Amino acid sequence: MKKINIFIVLLGIMTSSCEEFLTLTPETALSSATFYKTEADFEQAVNATYAPLRSIADDRSWLLSEMRSDNTIYARNINFGATEQQEDISDHALPDAQGITSNGHVLSQYRQDFLIIARANQILSVIDEVEFDETSKANLKGQALFLRGYAYYELARYFGGVPLHLTPVTTREEAALPVTPEEGIYNQLISDIQTSISLLPVRSNQGVGRASKGAAQMLLADVYITQKKWAEAESLLKAIVNSGEYELIANYEDVFSESVGNKNNIESLFEVQFLEGPEGMNGNFLYSFMPRPITPDELQPITGTSNTQGLDGEGNNIPTPDVIAAFEDGDKRMDASIAYVEIAGSDRDYKVYPYIKKFAKHHELNGNHGINWPIYRYAEVLLFLAESLNEQGKTTEAAALINEIRNRAGLDATAASSQAEMREAIFKERRVEFAFENKRWFDITRADRVQEIIGAFGQKALANPLDYYYPDGHTFRSNAFTNITKYYALPASEAEITPHF
Amino acid sequence: MKKNCYQLLDSKQLFTLLAVMLLSFASYAQSTVSGVVRSEGDNETIPGVSVLVKGTTRGTVTDLDGKFQVEAAAGEVLSISYIGYSTKEITVQGGQTQYDVALVSSMSDLSEVVVVGYGSQLKKEITGSVQTISGEDLADMPVSQLAQKLQGQLAGVQINQTTGRPGQGMNVRIRGQLSVSAGSSPLYVVDGFPITGDIASLNPDEIQDITILKDAASTSLYGSRAANGVVLITTKRGKAGQSSVSLNVYTGLQNVPHYNRLEMMDAVEFAQFKKEYYEDAGRDVPDMFQDPSQYVGQTQDWYDALLETAPITNYNLTINSNTEKMSTSVVAGYFDQEGVVLNTDYERFSLRINSDYTASDKVKIGFNLAPQYIRDNTPRTDGSRGTGILFNALHAWPNMPIYDDEGELTSFNRFPAETGNIFAYPNYVRSALEITNETKQTNLLSNAYVQYEPIEGLVVKSSINAEISDSKYFNFTPSTVTAGINIALPAVASSIRDHYNNFSWLNENTATYTKSINDHNFQLLGGFTNQKFRRERTRVAADTYADDRLPTIQGAININRGGTISDVQEWSLTSFLSRLTYNFQGKYLMTAAIRADGSSRFGAENRWGVFPSFSAGWVLSDEGFLNTSDKVSFAKIRGSYGVTGNNNIGNYTQYALVNNTQNHVFDNTVVPGAAITSLSNPFLGWETTKQFDIGFDLGLLDDRITFIYDFYSKNTSNLLYNVQIPQEAGFGSFTDNIGEIKFWGHEFSITSRNTEGRLVWTTNANISFNRNRVEALADGIDRVYGSYHITQVGQPFGQFYGLNKLGNYMNQADLDNSPQVPGRSTVGSIKLEDVNGDGIITQGGDNDDRTIIGNPFPDFTYGITNNLTYGKWDLSIIASGSQGNHLYMRHLYSTANLDGVFNMVAKATDRFRSPEDPGEGIFGTTVGGGNVTGIERDWANSNFVYDASFFSIKNITLGYNIGKIANVVKSARVYASVQNVYIFTPYWGGPNPEVSQDNGSGDGGNLSPGVDLTGYPIPRTFTVGANITF
Repeated sequence: MKKINIFIVLLGIMTSSCEEFLTLTPETALSSATFYKTEADFEQAVNATYAPLRSIADDRSWLLSEMRSDNTIYARNINFGATEQQEDISDHALPDAQGITSNGHVLSQYRQDFLIIARANQILSVIDEVEFDETSKANLKGQALFLRGYAYYELARYFGGVPLHLTPVTTREEAALPVTPEEGIYNQLISDIQTSISLLPVRSNQGVGRASKGAAQMLLADVYITQKKWAEAESLLKAIVNSGEYELIANYEDVFSESVGNKNNIESLFEVQFLEGPEGMNGNFLYSFMPRPITPDELQPITGTSNTQGLDGEGNNIPTPDVIAAFEDGDKRMDASIAYVEIAGSDRDYKVYPYIKKFAKHHELNGNHGINWPIYRYAEVLLFLAESLNEQGKTTEAAALINEIRNRAGLDATAASSQAEMREAIFKERRVEFAFENKRWFDITRADRVQEIIGAFGQKALANPLDYYYPDGHTFRSNAFTNITKYYALPASEAEITPHF
Repeated sequence: MKKNCYQLLDSKQLFTLLAVMLLSFASYAQSTVSGVVRSEGDNETIPGVSVLVKGTTRGTVTDLDGKFQVEAAAGEVLSISYIGYSTKEITVQGGQTQYDVALVSSMSDLSEVVVVGYGSQLKKEITGSVQTISGEDLADMPVSQLAQKLQGQLAGVQINQTTGRPGQGMNVRIRGQLSVSAGSSPLYVVDGFPITGDIASLNPDEIQDITILKDAASTSLYGSRAANGVVLITTKRGKAGQSSVSLNVYTGLQNVPHYNRLEMMDAVEFAQFKKEYYEDAGRDVPDMFQDPSQYVGQTQDWYDALLETAPITNYNLTINSNTEKMSTSVVAGYFDQEGVVLNTDYERFSLRINSDYTASDKVKIGFNLAPQYIRDNTPRTDGSRGTGILFNALHAWPNMPIYDDEGELTSFNRFPAETGNIFAYPNYVRSALEITNETKQTNLLSNAYVQYEPIEGLVVKSSINAEISDSKYFNFTPSTVTAGINIALPAVASSIRDHYNNFSWLNENTATYTKSINDHNFQLLGGFTNQKFRRERTRVAADTYADDRLPTIQGAININRGGTISDVQEWSLTSFLSRLTYNFQGKYLMTAAIRADGSSRFGAENRWGVFPSFSAGWVLSDEGFLNTSDKVSFAKIRGSYGVTGNNNIGNYTQYALVNNTQNHVFDNTVVPGAAITSLSNPFLGWETTKQFDIGFDLGLLDDRITFIYDFYSKNTSNLLYNVQIPQEAGFGSFTDNIGEIKFWGHEFSITSRNTEGRLVWTTNANISFNRNRVEALADGIDRVYGSYHITQVGQPFGQFYGLNKLGNYMNQADLDNSPQVPGRSTVGSIKLEDVNGDGIITQGGDNDDRTIIGNPFPDFTYGITNNLTYGKWDLSIIASGSQGNHLYMRHLYSTANLDGVFNMVAKATDRFRSPEDPGEGIFGTTVGGGNVTGIERDWANSNFVYDASFFSIKNITLGYNIGKIANVVKSARVYASVQNVYIFTPYWGGPNPEVSQDNGSGDGGNLSPGVDLTGYPIPRTFTVGANITF
């Protein structure tokens, strides 16, 4: 029996204190318990907050803004199945009911912006509790606030009111918040950007490509211009001009990023960064902008890749005849912005299509380029300044600024002299100067000219489908241009799971 | 130094324990009794008869000459039992050491001892729902996997072969169990060791028998892993007595029969279709389709070109070596199956050595060692358009040349765009031949135990088990081919190397005390176990090779960061278990069992789960009022209730993980980025299943007919569920235990010995009715949508969901008078039901017209096996079936794409062309392009849903028993076998009505069952074989 007793004793020892055996934390991932402890952690967290911008610039912004405007259009390839999601945006035929739409691109934009916001919230909620160098802390906080402000500004412009999240979500119950009206969103984002201006260093003292004081000032000026707060915008824009950090590049064609070179140049205030190669940081928006079906031989001169492959499906973001017509004779920006390609496989009789040339820079491998996407550049500082001056009655000062832009484009000084003429001149100048840079739709919305401009554009397109890249005998769907709205409806997939909309 | 369970194996404590046990040889030995067991009728000796000393664990089995030897004291009772015979009990008399026993033949197998969780029980005394099957009964079927052999043989167990890829694709579901996101495969326990992999690689010839535990009373000793049912596998062990050598071998050929294949248009039909396509649209017909008759006899059958007749071979050599103290069984196997798709090969080398050493009558030690090496190569056959070679080949244009004029395989095919061709195609035959897609696995399963009986009736057992599995996957796609479509050649050559190394160990310590006091029989089991699992994974993806001949990593120009992974996964499990069985006179039966599981997977606030069960039975036929009946030879009713869990919830699901691959780039330099990408849940736990079972076992006419019935009802709650949360939170979901599913069903099995005498004909049949209903999902969520499925409260799981097709709009009046899809419906396009009656057809959103359009679950499944023996001949026919289930013929989105991009199913020749020529009504007009045809193609609708009931003759085997040959061969049998003989089914979408592919939805098919994307066909196999014993 003694031996049995030994067994029982041993069993007892073995069964004691199993908690450690049963606690296994992941070896190949960090958890919330071990992160947000050091300066390096916060640097990584801030870097991750920028990351969704790539997806937004590569896949969504041009779709939701530029292709929504009269600058570009979706070119049907009748041999290919319907991809109605993009087509609905381009044609102003989005299905929506009770302020909700099932469009996946609208959903994706919404989610990517909130991803930026959630990551910024995570940083902002804990960064003050961790001790590290105050200068870097201010810089990191400034970047997080800039990005949160930027994301809310996108949301406010696309949707008006959205839920307002300012602290990280940790439980299921905290996930859904009521919609805050547009005004409340603006109040918050203005406060965020103002704080970021005070925290961020000027561009020459900031890491290349990161949000700087100038970028934040420009973002806030953009917000004020949308709100028609002209004097506030003017002072911010003048501060940028006076900072001496930026200037116009003499040749318009040289303003835009190449796949490897000419990034974050002297004219750039803020741009979305990409990297060509296998790291997964590349863009491929250029390919989205190609008319289709395009063969490798037709595509190769445009992309210059060593392994060019053809593209099927539907063409997106194809320049409209309207934007082409908007360029004045002799405007150097025309050839820098638009070029043409002949598509043998097109069902149209006339097989030549325009495409966006501005970003068509050669790169190494098919579908993988490092071209940065411009968000703010100095030319816009000048045109914003011109606009805010003109709106305050300083039309002559405005003329000098618009002429700086026109000079570079090889054009004569503007003929506009009255405030109203100047307003229209700036509106037109912006269309060609920033063609395909996702500015046009917001210029139309903030001028409250959506029905006027898009309504007329739609009627013209419906009457002339051949001019808008339909083959003979084909035309727009019957619901095209039936739902022209300033804001997008909120996404259905979110509506299904939030009790608030 | 802190004490913890992990140190258990490092510590000397256990070894001290083992040493103590080893050295404690008992001094009081009994005398040896011996004897011979014969069959009463023919007086033949019977080998393999179990001889147990009642109330102890001493026992043996008779050798090939029917002889046995066992230690027994005077007054002890020998219980002598064998399947097919009535058990005999003999009391050992002082002075008598030789006993000759004659067993009386009985139809009943109730005296059989059945392996159950952590022990064994007399079949008669079992109170749970348990089914056993002997490895011998499955021996002749020429398939590589055990699960294939079990198809149709077990009531309540639905086994589908979803793909014919050798060594893959078996989907086993016990009692319809399923879950939203935790797995639904049963737990496999091999020789007491719950293995972490599945059993696909196990050599079926190593198996002695299989026990399926279905109800909670039988499974609850496996606690948090038991909810999906438990399959106990016992491998062959040496039997006391004479040594023997036996060889089992078969060889044969496999092919894919032509019947039931998806019928596509031939070249003439296709050209005719294309011609009509352009004519109907009022467009010019491209030159190549002007005259379809030019293609007579020119059809290029791409699907058939990928298939071949392939050999299959299996050798198994079994050696039993037995001495007085040591018995060893060695099974060496070699299995080689070439696939019916080109370049498929599956090869398995396996060895199993099971040894038992009887150190004394108190101490027994045993070792099992089962190494394996498996190599397989399978082209990327399965998968959707663009990824699966078979799918792509199926709808490749039938006028596209496979071979060029020189008889060489073409390399790249593309027709001009004006022919409506929008894709470029590789040569799929080349793709199959030139792409390497290889897995090499080395597995080792081992057990060691020591068993000690310190006092009579008490058995203490300790075991250490280890499972090592190392698998290396290698894929190389050279620049000359692609598996997908529309990639220009030469393509970017790419490689993937994926290496998994799994290690799992288990230590189990149990004590069993068996005692009988008068007519009261007790057994008490107590135990403590620890198990830990670790998986290390390294995956490297590389591309852009300079030279196809050197697919090394360093030969690649790019390492694909997104596809390169290193990962470690671990879990640990500590458990306490106990069971009490009690019966009175073997007539009133009762079992209570409990297990407590602590798991690393459960949240810190919810670490331990307790899983109890209780069951009882009453052997009515032992009562006076029944045992006089000569019709009813056996009757038992039994009932059980218990709680089990499913811990397949992921290893670190409870933690909020920081993903440190959220990188960004500044000025052409990558900077590391990290963000929290999931929410933590410290309360996360197992899924709980509460199951009630009631059943009865009936034997009639001296057990010539036996009948088993079970009804079960179970509720699975605390479903592991990724509750969708609004992504305004920055997260997509929160993992929680939420929701509830109810399952219930009836199972019937019957065994009948139809004739006896010279012709012995036995029939086994079973039929099962399984039902389920979703009772709850998350708060505020009553449905989860898939692409063509819905899981909705109040309905069965995973129903097909979409628009209901009414027909096509037959003419303008029909179109004008019917609800339409605005801007898209035309005359001849698909006419759908306006379910919400708002006058327009809408998919999704607030005005959704979608509805349930089919059920992937059968009304019932059944199996029937007939065995006939006539003299030296034996014949067996195994069949199984499923009734009332639908399949979603998903491939139609491509194989019946009305835009004329691909080859079409032959049925599309009868599509709608005009009001005068409206066709069969299955397919609509081709006119209008994607805006019109896209509705039929892209919107989930009932045109995709078809009855997939089937009755399948799985196997027919005819054998001839040669018997003894000279003095060398003790016995020999030869046989011929056909596997997968014929499938009767109305399903026309492809040859395998058991197919189910989850289309990459990532839920393992749980939420999206029954999807047909075309898969590897299951071959018909013809073999001849021999069983020879030396």
